[in-house]
Amino acid sequence: MGLLSLLRQLKKSDGEARILVLGLDNAGKTTILKKLSDEDVTTITPTQGFNIKSLMHEGFKLNVWDIGGQKSIRPYWRNYFDQTDCLLYVIDSADRKRLEETGDELSKLLEEDKLAGVPLLVLANKQDLLNALPANEVAEGLNLFSIRDRPWQIQPCSAKNGTGLQDGMEWLVKQPGTVRQKATVLFLCIW
Amino acid sequence: MSHPKLKKFLLRYYPPGIILEYEQHGQLMQKSIDLLNLTPDDDVEVVVNQVLRQEPMIGESRRETLQKLVFKLLDKLQTQDHQDFTLFKVLRAHILPLTNCAFNKSGDRFITGSYDRTCKVWNTFTGDEVHTLEGHKNVVYAIAFNNPFGDKIVTGSFDKTCKLWDAHTGQLYYTLRGHATEIVCLSFNPQSTIIATGSMDNTAKLWDVERGTELCTLLGHTAEIVSLCFNTTGDQIITGSFDHDSKIWDVRSGRCIHTLSGHRGEVSSTQFNYAGSLCVSGSIDRTCRLWDVGSGRCMSVRQGDGQGHTDEVLDVCFDATGKRFVSASADSTARIYNTMTGQCLHALVGHEGEISKVSFNPQGSKVITASSDKTCRLWDTETGDCLQMLEGHTDEIFSCAFNYEGDFIITGSKDNTCRIWRC
Repeated sequence: MGLLSLLRQLKKSDGEARILVLGLDNAGKTTILKKLSDEDVTTITPTQGFNIKSLMHEGFKLNVWDIGGQKSIRPYWRNYFDQTDCLLYVIDSADRKRLEETGDELSKLLEEDKLAGVPLLVLANKQDLLNALPANEVAEGLNLFSIRDRPWQIQPCSAKNGTGLQDGMEWLVKQPGTVRQKATVLFLCIW
Repeated sequence: MSHPKLKKFLLRYYPPGIILEYEQHGQLMQKSIDLLNLTPDDDVEVVVNQVLRQEPMIGESRRETLQKLVFKLLDKLQTQDHQDFTLFKVLRAHILPLTNCAFNKSGDRFITGSYDRTCKVWNTFTGDEVHTLEGHKNVVYAIAFNNPFGDKIVTGSFDKTCKLWDAHTGQLYYTLRGHATEIVCLSFNPQSTIIATGSMDNTAKLWDVERGTELCTLLGHTAEIVSLCFNTTGDQIITGSFDHDSKIWDVRSGRCIHTLSGHRGEVSSTQFNYAGSLCVSGSIDRTCRLWDVGSGRCMSVRQGDGQGHTDEVLDVCFDATGKRFVSASADSTARIYNTMTGQCLHALVGHEGEISKVSFNPQGSKVITASSDKTCRLWDTETGDCLQMLEGHTDEIFSCAFNYEGDFIITGSKDNTCRIWRC
């Protein structure tokens, strides 16, 4: 994945969808990406930039961009908004203290012109932890029920053991305007 | 009609040549005598006689001076640098991954572009940050000095604009607007009067450096332009595109002179040789092709027949004289070819991931390769042996460059750092 590959990713081909994975630091974005591509998830370090993986799902090619979530680099998320087909927002469901912070970041994203109408999948991650908030409470905390301008879904999951990830992907590829008709999905994952 | 009057000799080491500074019609002009085929075994007298015969401006009275100059060139060619490079500085350069990096000609400054939307100017010898060029609204992808002058910097961004800066003060001269999408390649012409930009909008544009205005749009490609290069005299430009073609354009008129068709996949990289008689293109179709600039015909194709690559070709370039060229591939090898015969001289084998960037040192004695295996490697161009591994980056390396003297290397990585290596 050198610079040339990045340019080829910028240029989107027919039948390919671009999925943008965002969320706070330590939400588990990279772990989800690695788990979805069957890679080892035991040694994952904070993402200083971005990771890109191409995943095949039911015959569709999903180009998934995982962008670092640290506060200092969140202003640069908009570098990656162009041509996004779906937004995947990842949340650490066990980090109750930062639920408000992640909700604020999500609200800002949903106001972005370039992401207008882009389907949103929120992944309520880290459900394997005992103190994890259930998905419906996360949805309430994030005020998801007030979203009217796009399809959205919340999916409880655990990137560590893989639970719920495939269900999330199922929803994602079924979105009108997703892969089948060149659509966009935004995943929001809460660890 | 006044005769040209020779005023001064200037020496050029890479590629070897002698520049004549002369006066005609009251104006100071320059002319270059290229000695591209000079080898350390050449006889000084023979070379001097040839030059005297070919160049009427140099009289017999200058024989002694000329001898000294040729001797200096030969001496430089003989200098063998077997010294290893060692890590000199690690620069926590940017808060997001680096894209490209480049030296000025004197080598005392270099620049890095980044996903953090800035370009930074660095002092090579101290590792100090000299300027941060801020203003782009998205990734700074393509960057260049106006070498050999080195007093201006141009930056091209995913924000669709290109910016021209004063290299000494960091002050912005102009923002060049006109492209419809990301700018991904650019260059000054060698005279530093024109900037060329290539974009994902399928066009290339030429801009006037003095006024900051658009001169013309090079229309014709049907897909993204990802590579461009001026020839040495600056009257032609070559563009490589994802539409599988390369095109040679006349800079003055903006007209397409030749369309180089033949690749069966996206073109990744293109370059003229120093003489401007040939160009090379690399492609995702796993081949590289040599083209004759005069006729636009393909001279040779290197492919996976034991002589070529088994995966996408990601970068190609000539050495300073044009005698050899090198290709880098996703098959994790690089290959050095003889330009005249098209024969593969060496396969550079050892990397454990794709090689996305390759270049010769100005002397032509070494090749550097940058790979997704987080290392750069240096190779002996005579033997094809790996001389050294530059290890330390913690993520893949996107870009690398030699300075003009060939004794400094910079490497830029996805790990957000830049490393300076010195002999």
